[in-house]
Parts: sequence; C-alpha cells; structure tokens
Amino acid sequence: MINKCEKIPDEARMPPRFADACVRCANCMAVCPVSRVTPTFPGPKQAGPGAQRFRLPSEASVDDWITLCTGCKLCDTVCPSGVPISRMNLLAKAKYLREQGRKPRDWVLARSDLYGESASRLATVVNPLMKNTVIRKILDSVLEIDARRELPSYERQTFHRWFRARPVAAGGFTQGRVAYFHGCFVDTNETDVGKAVVALLESQGLEVALPPQNCCGLPRLGIGDFRGAREMGARNIASLLPVVRDGVDVVFSSTSCGMMLRHDYSQILGLAGAEELAEHLFDVSEYLLSLYDDKKITPAFLPVKVKAAYFAPCHLRAMNIGLPALELLGLVPGLDVQSVDADCCGLGGLYGFKKENCAVAEAIGGDLAKAVARIKPDIVITDCEGCRMQIRHLTGLKVVHPVQLLRDSLKPLPVTG
Amino acid sequence: MDYKTEVVIIGGGATGAGIARDLALRGIPSILVERGDFTSGASGRNQGLLHSGARYAVYDPEAARECVAENRILRHIAPHCIEPTGGLFVSLPEDGFEFRGEFIRACENAGIETVSLSPREALALEPGINPLLIGAVQVPDGAIDPFTLVVENIRDAESRGAVVFTHTEATGFLRDGDGVAGVVVRDLLEKKEFTISASWVINAAGAWANRILALAGLSIPMSLSKGSMLITNTRLSQRVLNRCRPPASGDIIVPNSTVSILGTTSLRVDAVESFEVLPEEAAFLVYELSLLVPEIKSERFIRAYAGVRPLIRSGETDDDRSLSRGFSLIDHQKENGISGLVTIAGGKLITCRLMAEKTVDFLCEKMGLRAPCTTAEQRLPGAGIGRSLQDRLLHMRREIPAARQEILCDCELVPRDEVEAVLKEGKVRELRDILHRTRIAKGTCQGGFCVYRLLGMLNELRRERNRGDSNEILMDFLEERWRGIRPILWGTALKEEELIESIYKGLFNLSGELSGGQEAGERGRR
Amino acid sequence: MKRYDLIVIGAGLAGLMAARTAVEMGARVLIAGGGMGALTLFGNTIDVLGRIPPGEDIAEGMSGFIDSFPEHPYARTGWEGVEKALDAFQELFPPPYHFSGVTRGNCLLPTGAGTMRPTFLIPATMASGVGMMPASTLVVGFRGFKDFQAETVSLHLRCRGAVIPFPRYRMGGMTAPAIARLMEDHSFVERLGEEIYQRMEGERFIGLPAFFGLREPVAAMKTLEAATGARVFEISILPPSIPGMRIYNRFHERLLQRGTAFLMGTPVSEAIVKDGRCRGIIVKNAPLGAGYQADRFILATGRFLGGGLWAGIERIVEPLFHVPVAQPSRRGEWFKGRFFDPEAHPVSQAGVETAADLRPLNEKGGIFLENLWAAGSILAHHQSIEEKSREGIDIATGYMAARQALAS
Repeated sequence: MINKCEKIPDEARMPPRFADACVRCANCMAVCPVSRVTPTFPGPKQAGPGAQRFRLPSEASVDDWITLCTGCKLCDTVCPSGVPISRMNLLAKAKYLREQGRKPRDWVLARSDLYGESASRLATVVNPLMKNTVIRKILDSVLEIDARRELPSYERQTFHRWFRARPVAAGGFTQGRVAYFHGCFVDTNETDVGKAVVALLESQGLEVALPPQNCCGLPRLGIGDFRGAREMGARNIASLLPVVRDGVDVVFSSTSCGMMLRHDYSQILGLAGAEELAEHLFDVSEYLLSLYDDKKITPAFLPVKVKAAYFAPCHLRAMNIGLPALELLGLVPGLDVQSVDADCCGLGGLYGFKKENCAVAEAIGGDLAKAVARIKPDIVITDCEGCRMQIRHLTGLKVVHPVQLLRDSLKPLPVTG
Repeated sequence: MDYKTEVVIIGGGATGAGIARDLALRGIPSILVERGDFTSGASGRNQGLLHSGARYAVYDPEAARECVAENRILRHIAPHCIEPTGGLFVSLPEDGFEFRGEFIRACENAGIETVSLSPREALALEPGINPLLIGAVQVPDGAIDPFTLVVENIRDAESRGAVVFTHTEATGFLRDGDGVAGVVVRDLLEKKEFTISASWVINAAGAWANRILALAGLSIPMSLSKGSMLITNTRLSQRVLNRCRPPASGDIIVPNSTVSILGTTSLRVDAVESFEVLPEEAAFLVYELSLLVPEIKSERFIRAYAGVRPLIRSGETDDDRSLSRGFSLIDHQKENGISGLVTIAGGKLITCRLMAEKTVDFLCEKMGLRAPCTTAEQRLPGAGIGRSLQDRLLHMRREIPAARQEILCDCELVPRDEVEAVLKEGKVRELRDILHRTRIAKGTCQGGFCVYRLLGMLNELRRERNRGDSNEILMDFLEERWRGIRPILWGTALKEEELIESIYKGLFNLSGELSGGQEAGERGRR
Repeated sequence: MKRYDLIVIGAGLAGLMAARTAVEMGARVLIAGGGMGALTLFGNTIDVLGRIPPGEDIAEGMSGFIDSFPEHPYARTGWEGVEKALDAFQELFPPPYHFSGVTRGNCLLPTGAGTMRPTFLIPATMASGVGMMPASTLVVGFRGFKDFQAETVSLHLRCRGAVIPFPRYRMGGMTAPAIARLMEDHSFVERLGEEIYQRMEGERFIGLPAFFGLREPVAAMKTLEAATGARVFEISILPPSIPGMRIYNRFHERLLQRGTAFLMGTPVSEAIVKDGRCRGIIVKNAPLGAGYQADRFILATGRFLGGGLWAGIERIVEPLFHVPVAQPSRRGEWFKGRFFDPEAHPVSQAGVETAADLRPLNEKGGIFLENLWAAGSILAHHQSIEEKSREGIDIATGYMAARQALAS
C-alpha cells in the first residue's frame, strides 16, 4: 500500500520543474490572504516558484516564513499557468520542519485523533479544563497553543457511538446505500453535523453506512509528517476501497477531509488505490445536488424565515466543484442566503492555534468577520469545521454546516407503517 | 585632463583586469580603459565553465595541463567566484566507448582525476540524464562567475593604485618616432577626449584586438567564432554535463547559480558585434542537448546570448574547434618594428590569470624589473564571502520584517541595499553597470519588473536626473532584453512576453509618441 | 451530469461579460475559468481604441477603423455593438464607483511610468487624473512599496513627486493587495491624508498609486480629498491591478447572486465533440475529471498569457478544441527585430478567425462547430496591446457572443 519511493525524503521528491510554468504575473499575490495581512510572508509568487529556484535539495532550508502559509490553496485557483504553488509550499514547509525539528505542540495538535475518543469519554472533566485560564496559560507558554483562542469542547457521546447505538432505521431506502466519512471533528466535537448528514440522507431514501475510519491525516500533513499522513491514508483506503468496490459511494461533510481524501491522497501522498477511491468520493451537498439535478430526489423543505450568510471554505473552492451547498440552500423557500465576500477564514486548521500564527489568523479572520457583518445575517453557514470555529470565535454568531440547516427545514417524513 | 602612467591596458575583460591586478601587485602603475563596462566582450559572454581541462585533454594536452593548474589556483584565490560542481562526461549509445578510452587516458596524462561511473551511478547523481546512457566519467569541472571574478580583479588593482576608466574608448595612439607612447581616448558618456601617455600599451581588447591594432596600421591573423548559448529558468543539473565524444557543437550544460546554460554553437563570423542568436541556433541547441537531458525539449528558457571568441590562427584550418585555445603574446616591436605596444590575445577565461602573468613577466623583463608574480597566491579581496542561493533567500527572513529591505528583483532576490552598496562604490555610470554588478534582471522575468523599480530608485536618488529621460533608459533596456529573449520566445516564455508587453506597451504606453510631460504641457498651452 | 444553457470557458473580462449577458437573458450559465488573467493584472480603465486621437469623436474614428480593418473583431460587432455592450457593462457599475467617459472620445490619463495614456471609460477614482495640471500636481509614492515609482512619474509628468513612509507600517515588501486592505480602514486613510497634506506645497491635484481598496475606493478617495483639499486620483501600477480586481469582484458577486456557477482554478482539460457539436467539457482536477454539459459554448480563454493560445517551437495552437489558429508561416516571422517597433509583432495578430457571428472557422472557412462561439483576445487580427483596445474587444465580443449563442 505504501508508495515505493518511501526511502527518499518526501520533500526531496519535488519535481524540479515546478517553478518553470510561473510567468511572474502576480495574480496569486492578489488573493493570498496571508501576504495581504503581513509582510512577513513574501506571498505565493515569492514563497513558491520564486524561492523554489533557490532551493537545492542538498542544502538545508532557510525559508522560515514558509510556515506562515496556511495551505488554503487560493493561489492555485487563480494561477493562469497551473503552477502547483500550495503543493510547492507544503513540500518546502515539510523540509523546513523536518530539519528544524517539530515542536511538541505540533505533534500534540496533529494527533488529536489519538486522544479525541478518550477526551469525549471524559468530556465533563476535559471541557472545563480547556477553559481554565491557568491551564490555558500553561498550554500557551509550554506548548505555544495560543491562549486567546478557545479550544473546541468535546461531546460526551461520539458520533460513531451514537450511530451504532441508534435504533435501526426503518426500510424504504429507494436510493440505495451511501457510506459516510465523518472525520474527527464531527466524531468528537460536532456530532450534530453527522446526525444531520444521516437524517438528510435518510430523508431522501438513502441508507447510510459507517465504514471504519481514521483521521484523514491532514493535520499530520500540515506539519510535514508525510509518514504519519500516509499511514492514516493507507488505513482509510484499506477500509473504504472495499466499500466503493461494492458499488457504494462515500460522502464527506468536511471539505478539508474531503480535499485530503479526494486529491491529496493520490497527488501528494501517492497512495495506491487513492485514485480509484476518489472517483466515488463526494461532498455531501455535491452528492445530493447531483441526485437532485438528475431528478432522482425531490427534497421538500419547509419555508424558513432566516437571513443567512454562506461562506465557501478554501478547500471547497480548491476542489473546484462550484458551490453545491449554496445551490441546495437555494431550494429552501424563504431562506435569504448571501455569499460572503471574503477569501479565507485564516484558521487554516491547526494554523491559527499556534501562538506564532495567531495574529495572522485573527487578521485574516477579521476581514471575514467584517464581510459577514455587512450581510447582517441571523446565522452563518459554512461546510468546514475550521471556518465554523473561526467565525463563531470572531462574530459570536450561530454557525452551522449546510446540512444542519437543510435538516432543520425538512418537511417531517410522512408517517408510514 | 590628460594622464601619464607606466602601462595602459586596453580592454576590461578577464585578461585586462588580470593584467591590471598583476601590475598593481608588482608595484607598476597602470591605467585601464574599457569602452563599455567590464566583461562586455567574451569574458561576460561565455558558458561560465570552470574547465578541469578534460575537454581539451585529447586534442590539446598543453591547454589541458594549463587548465589543471589554473583551476587549482582559481579555487584558491577566488573560491567565492566558483562552484566546484564536478562534471560528467556522458556516453550515449551513439557515442560508443571508443572516444571514452582515449579520453580517460588523456586525462590521466594531463593529471586530471577521473572516476568511471556506471549508467546507474550516473543517474543516481543526475537523474535528468538520458536514461539510455551507456556510461559516464566524472571529472572536476565546475562553474565560475566571470562577472565577479573580473570586478574583483579590478577592485584589487584599484585598491593598489591602478586607475580605471570605463565607457572610455581608445581612439588612437600617441606616437613617439617608431614607437607608441600612449593612447588617445574618448569618454563615450561625457563625450570628451583625453590622452594617456605611457611607456607601454597593452592591447587586451579580445575580439576587438584588430580594431585597436588598426589604429597603428597593424593586424594579426585572428578569426572570430560566434558561440550561442541558452539559459534555462531553473537549474537542470547539479554538475556540468558534457557529451563524451570529440568536442562538437551543443554538447555542454553548465549549472550556474539558479540556472543552467546550454552551449554552444560555433559559427565563423566577420563582425565582432555578432551577438544575435538565430532561431535555428536556438532550435539546434534544444534538439542536440535534449539528447543528453531529454527534459530540455519542454524546458523553459529565459534568455539566449552569444559571445564572439577571438581565435588566434596558427595555421590554415577551417574548423574553429581544432584551433588552439592557447593564447599569443605579440611584441609588435619584434613583429612590426613598433615599440611600446604588446597584444595579448586568444586564451580562455580560465587562463586569464596566466595570460596576465606572462604578459607582465614580459614587461618586467623589458623594463629590467625583478618583481615576481604573486597573483597565484594572493587571494582576491572578496574571497571567503559567500553569496550562495541560501544567503540570498535569507534576505526574506521572518524575524526581521521591519528591517527588511525592499527586494527590487523578485526573481533573483536582490535587495535595495545591495544596489545602494554598488552605487556607493562610485563606479556606476549607467544602468548596465549596475546590472553587471548585481544579479538584477538575470532571473525569470529578465528585468521585466525590477528595472522599472531600479530606475525609480535611481530617480529618487537623483542619479539619473541629469542624464535625462529614465523612460528612454528603460526602453533601451527593454530593447536589449528583447535581443536576448527573442530567440527563445515560445511556450511559457512567450506567455511571459505577453505580460511584459502588456505592461510596457499597454499599461505604461511607453511606445506612445508623446511623453506625459510633453502631452500635459501641450494641453496647458491649448 | 449537469446541464447548462451556456458554458463560458474563461473567466476574464470577455468571459465574464458573456456570462453576464447570458444571465440577463435568463440563461443557466456555468463559467469554467482556468485562473485569473489579464483583467486582474492590467485592468484599470476601459480601452476601446486608443489610437483614435483625443478630441476626435470615437464613433467616427471607429467606423473609419472598421473600414480599414475588415477582419478586426470590431468589424464583427460594429460600433453599435460596442456601444450597447459598454452600456451593459456600465450598468454593473452604478455610482459611486462608476465608469464614465469624459467626452465622446478618448482622454489621456497619467500612468505609473509618467506617460500619458489614451483610454475611453474611466473609473471614478481615476477621473481627476484627466484634468490634472502638472504644475499643481503632487505624485506620492511610498517607501517599501516598489510597484509604483513616484519619482519616475513626476520626472516624466514634470510635476512634483514625493516618496513617504506609510503611516504605522514601516516595512519593506508591502504589496498592493495588502495596502488596499489597509485602505478600507477609515482611520488609516485619514492618517495617510494628513501625512500627504504635510508635504503639499499648494498643489491642487494629488496622484497616488491605484490601491484605494477593493470595496469602497471612492470613500477612500473622498477622505483623502477632505484631508488634503486637493483632487485625488489613482494611477496605474505594476500588476496585480486593484482596479482590475474590483471589476472581477463586481462581476463575480452579481453572477453568483444570479445563480451562475463558477469553476475556478483547474482549466478545462477536454472538450467532448460529436457530430459537429460540442457536447460537454471535462474539468480535470487530478485525479478526478468532472463533466459538464451545455447546449452552447463560448471560448474566451485569452491569448498566450491566459492559456487560450499555446506556442510550440514552430506552431501556435488552440489547445482545447484545436480550432485553427491564423498565424505567420514560421517562427522566424513571429517578431519584429525591435521590441518597440512601430508595427506590432506579427504574432500578436495570431488568433482564432470567426464568421460574422463569432463562430470560429475551420480550415476550409466553414463553421468549426455549430454551437461554439469565440470572444475576447483569442480572436485573430487585432493588436489590443498597441492599439489599446483590450477591454473594448473583451466587452463587445463577450456581449455579442452571448447574444448570438442564445439566439441560436
């Protein structure tokens, strides 16, 4: 399962011609959320193809600013020359971090999947601790996890436990089966999103399966831990591939996990089986919308008198599938939903929790918060848990996943039987 | 104002600069005149190859031995101008092994260390090589930065009393009976003439040697050979790559800092200023070198350039490559009965120090001076100062944004203070002087963004104020840039060209007929 | 597979204009852009035909031009077509950030090189540049911001220049998007106005780099005018272009509101053609390829920079549909010897030839595909850079292509 080139350090496998397609046009500079708020990051053009010409595989990295890249991939989406800028940055960051040695904090944050389950069991104890100022100060000074930022609290019953414990759903699944990849955050911190996915899919006649699954590995990849990321990926592929080979599609509700599974497993990690799996992986809204477009389902929603702001997460945009959630939300009568005119929330997954990045993350997020405020919404809707955390943190508004709103506005199922 | 000195050197290439330094180290006063800036001839228009001598081993063992010795010396005195990359002589199936055996023996005889590599070993070192190779030989080739080498020779000479005039052309000789007693020169920027009297005039004008000699009604048998080269956007290999076959056109790739240089062609030319690279030459180099490194077919090029090699003809032959690359020291008293005039011609970049040594030895002998040459031991002033790729990246360090300089040239990471330091030296007389002393405009966009910024900075410092219109300078620069990129404009390079045209012809309307001031002035009158 | 009335390939000004026109006509539209191109790099004002001398009526100039260049894209749209399209464009930009012409002809605006540049429609933030009098103008640049050289501008405009530090931010490496962000902060703009005011010597006009923010540039301008008592205007800078981003953002926002789907980032990798019609496109985002179907397609992928044309060592091709590209016979003839040759390089005339209705032609002069139209700079026989017609061609042909396509 693991790629044959394992012995060569991953960051040394950067194709040397990466920089060549760049024509120095600066379109990426126009959208980079980081260089817009801080001149300490030289911007995608410089940090990516620009610096690439100066990096020799044999020499140690000196580009310490590379850790400021949030990995939002917006640069990739505007480049007229197809330069894989964010991938270049990821590889450079990995090399830098490997040479510098990663901070204990990075390991702790990137392996939240290992303690998430236990933390959930002990939620009543853990949650108050995480809010305790003394403990936060210790985390801040020892682990450099910024004290200003609220840590997500754990739920007592994980999503997958809930799923197993719930009464078996009645039959009548006319649309077949679909598997759900929920990701860590839904499992331990935001189980309602998972419950909403299940309810929504079931309401449309889809039977939901929950194959065994691990963390997608993105947090590990984010700190340049290719080995760890690849391990996670290999396990997920081993579990999901048989499912799709049985003709069952897999949906995900986290756009970041989805981006990782669909694209990074094959394009960055080179995992065997990843391409085959990718063919059957869908964003949950994308999946429902395509069923709707093909007139296979006709979801009926109750009118909802709500003004909502929809924010399209960076990784959704990088998937380049349009804004399926926004189109679905358009089916809800009475819902006034406007797209937020902002580029990135700035949290960048774990990025914003790191003390040295917190100011940058807050500045980027501040622009988003202003853009949200201009809409004056009752609630904010976005597909990514990182964005939800950040927008809650910055605006105090209620922030939900699109599936949550859709579920809440579903017409009650006709009572059968 | 007129000057008087002991020796006048004509030509600010590697040879002239070496002579100035050698003279200065031996305590002999000199003045060097250069019609452009340093290295504007063959010294700045070569492949930047630090020969181990291997390339000459088979056909010119003497030149090879010279290379071996000079290579060692340069590594000692100018380590900062050199990248000891090592080199491979690669045998492709069509090359066979016949030449290779001869090559290894000849290298051995010349004292050049070789290591024979299997195809697998060679590919492990340089994954870009044509995987069909049948073998390779490793030699101690390297890369050299001729600009820094020459400028540092000059700096050292100046610090020891030598005087240098750039943009100053020799227009005639001062005569003293049958002899030469100095030169008449013209400052091409100030448009002023003056004289320099001297006991000796050394003609180190390279390919222009006969143009100088013509001023005294003389000439030497010399042929001119144009060699064209292409520069890639990123470095293709870590080592110098050669074909292991009898030297021919299009068989070397030299890595140089951020780029690689593909060379060369060899075309007999009549005019010294034959710097145009023909589209067919570019296509030839791409084809020929893609046999060595297949990726070259889809490689991004950023510039093409050509140099004219002056070759001293020793016999009648039509193949420029078999002419000796050795040099000639011509005493015109002995040859033509004109005293006080010496021509040093031919040679290679790597033997410039040796050429200077022989020239100054000759002068000392004539002057009856016993002053030993020390250029092989005394290191150049900047030796030990590294300016590696890494050092340049460090300009962008995260910790010190407040102190960080504007980076004028994004492609080559040249910060504003580097230009300020060059300006402080006081040697800069025009834009090109700055470009020669920094890496500005040598990267991907070839000055497309940074020269506008540089000129703005100069305007701010009022340097160009009295020299008139900085947009004219910008347009001249873009014309010169055009000559370099026109031959390689296809693929990504052409995309970039549309960007640059859109900026200068479109956005900035530099090709419009009226300048802003004129137009606004006219409106004022209306 | 999704099905649209129209798929526009390319998200530059021509593509956006085509999409906007089609949406106004009630069509379901998908824009498939490969990235951002010329618009966000050089888009500032709306050029129509800069070679018509200021003072001359543009309608007259255009009809003469069209007579002399019957193959030019403008010959397809006619002046009336350009005019209608420009009206539609201007509708998108109500005051305060509106585009207007000064007369019925071209006017001249100062540039970042201190030259004057002819153009037709000007955004509100640049309008005062037209009436600027050099003797009473101050051009201000900023230390740490290298893409606008005030001293070069002032030298050539023959006015006064000043280079000052940014209030609060004394760092190298400031970029236009970073400053545009600061310009949305009212207190920052007020401070900036004070700093400028202190350096004024009674000037009545202030020229500044074009970075007055993305959202409310006119408000920033008004704040600066209040602080300085002078007329303030933006001057074009090296790419990227903030005014170009404003145009892009406006289109993007309006199109999203109208339900237009945007695919940005990965270019269309394949067109599915059958029986003389385009059936759909494949957008490859490795490892996946997604298919999209439509009844009509508009090719607005730009020239070399945008990826609409690609030059191999010897031939120029249109890489998506392989539409024949009119071009010089060999590479030796692509360029003039001089960069600033008075005539444009022949390669800039290369492009896609079309019928009168903007449908590309095949080698035999017939219609290449029944349901494919072309718009923007990919069209052959213009010299948009030299003749200063980039935006005009984009807007007019984008508008016309959409109308033609939907009429079919």
